[in-house]
Amino acid sequence: MSLSCQGLHFYYGQHHALKDISFEVKDACFCALLGRNGSGKTTLLHCMNGILKPSSGTLRLDGVDITRASAQEIARNVSMVPQERSEMFPFDVLDVVVMGRTPFLKMYESPSQLDYTMAKKALAMVGAEKLAPRNFNRISGGERQLALVARALVQDPSTLLLDEPTNHLDFKNQYLLLNQIKTLCRKRGTRVVTSMHDPNMATLFADRVILLKYGRIVAQGTVTDIMTEEHLSDLYETELKKIDIGTGRSVFLPASVTT
Amino acid sequence: MTTESIRNNPLKRITAVFRGRRKVLDPHKTSLGRTGYRRLQYATLTGLALLAIISLHTGRLDISSEEIRSILWSAGTGIPLDSELLSKSLVFFQVRLPRCILAILVGMGLSASGAVYQALFRNPLVSPDILGVAAGCTFGAALAMVIPGSSFALVRIFAFIFGLAAVFSALGIAKAVGVKPILILVLAGMVVTSFFNAFVMILKYMADPYNQLPAIVFWTMGSFSRAAWKDVHTLFPLVGLGLVVIVMLRYRLNVLSLGDMQAKSLGINPTMYRVVLILISSLIVALTVATCGQVCWIGLIIPHIARTLVGPNHKQMLPITITLGGLFMLLADDIARSITAAELPISIVTSLIGAPLFAFLLYKNRGSGWI
Repeated sequence: MSLSCQGLHFYYGQHHALKDISFEVKDACFCALLGRNGSGKTTLLHCMNGILKPSSGTLRLDGVDITRASAQEIARNVSMVPQERSEMFPFDVLDVVVMGRTPFLKMYESPSQLDYTMAKKALAMVGAEKLAPRNFNRISGGERQLALVARALVQDPSTLLLDEPTNHLDFKNQYLLLNQIKTLCRKRGTRVVTSMHDPNMATLFADRVILLKYGRIVAQGTVTDIMTEEHLSDLYETELKKIDIGTGRSVFLPASVTT
Repeated sequence: MTTESIRNNPLKRITAVFRGRRKVLDPHKTSLGRTGYRRLQYATLTGLALLAIISLHTGRLDISSEEIRSILWSAGTGIPLDSELLSKSLVFFQVRLPRCILAILVGMGLSASGAVYQALFRNPLVSPDILGVAAGCTFGAALAMVIPGSSFALVRIFAFIFGLAAVFSALGIAKAVGVKPILILVLAGMVVTSFFNAFVMILKYMADPYNQLPAIVFWTMGSFSRAAWKDVHTLFPLVGLGLVVIVMLRYRLNVLSLGDMQAKSLGINPTMYRVVLILISSLIVALTVATCGQVCWIGLIIPHIARTLVGPNHKQMLPITITLGGLFMLLADDIARSITAAELPISIVTSLIGAPLFAFLLYKNRGSGWI
């Protein structure tokens, strides 16, 4: 069982945003997408979620063609934590989280008591159970992020897509959240695909890394193979140094502050 | 007085909201508890029933409760009435009862459509006129009024057809443009409204100033004075069916109000639901406007009041919107026909109440994070 993408292209009008993308994500794999702004990370995630239709190529989830599946079919298997959030009515956080059960409801149904219990559990998983009765528009950006991750978890997905999930989160919550997702990935075999800006986070949590540059995959593979000074310096067009911090771990930092 | 007791008691909650104390008693939560919602629903339904009874007593002809009782008794048993009661019975059954039912239906239909439009356009300040339904209806009605030898039936048919034509044009323009559907729909609605308004101006300019022009002007201000059973027979099944569909789909409105992208990732096809819901609510608006002319403010303010009282979750907010819509419309009609000797057009009443009330609600909701 896997999520596989073969020869995918995507055009925004004339703009060739994704060029010949091919990769595979197996069960219980945490896959990080790295790349500069505008490299196509979000576009690729949107294609995988059926929000955008690829111009050509195939995208299969456990053998099912995502480009032809209905929104409900996709949402029962794939959930997404969006990066940009628009204004909404002042819903309670719990009401926002329980919307993750929508793909399992019939057209005329509303969430049951059980759905609400699941939503509360999901909030607890991200350590945000206290947010449940608050007004979604009046909590901080980081708290909203946690609530949206909880909503994605309530969908009980086989594939979890995250678009820069650590945005707006404080230093502790960044690690807490990625740790939770990593645990979920290990325990339930959830496939995780997440775009990231911090290569050190990717080194810490990811199993596989895909490097995107100008809409093309420049390298992909295991963390040990890909997370090297050469690859990353080329990706970010900035000279990066790998610094050993002991206990077998290392971090990447720019070689000089001025570029 | 505990916070819980205020939250669950609709009357205390209403006073708390209107005295600006909601923040004090409940700083973060916008939604009403389950018990509170049930009580509020009972309270509004009871209010509607009481007001309906009062409305049946209201009018130029004095009909007392006892007389109403004997009229109803005779209708049930078939015992003939004396001549004075017979004429009152005629007024009761042929004028007041249909008028009362029609006002409730129109109020419910307009406010439910307003709630749907506000959710679909993700904007609490949208009214059902935004796609040009009202402008189209007005043009249709005005056209029928200046056609020589036309009847009032034709006015309604034309109003209905052109109202829907306006919505279809707006949807067509948005489909042709193809990007940013919500924004483009609003702009397309402006285009269509402006276009139809121009034609209405032409018709007004050319209309006979002694008969046709006043008829057009009076029609745009709305009135239930022509209400009859045949209107109830048309409106009841169609508006009723529309309301049933909207109520059944009301949870989906929550998800749709998050925007197309999130709706899609939560498994809902936003385009399909948008078209279906716009068509249903436009049908309701066109039917009501074709029956009683333009009624301002109801579709905008009633959903707003409901949201202030029970929070934005459509599961609870939509049923409250519907009952409050019927209640408010009935009240406005009672005022319109009893405040002066001659009957006032309904939009004068709804605007005079609606506009200041809306300003007040804007002020009261300033802390909720969406205004």
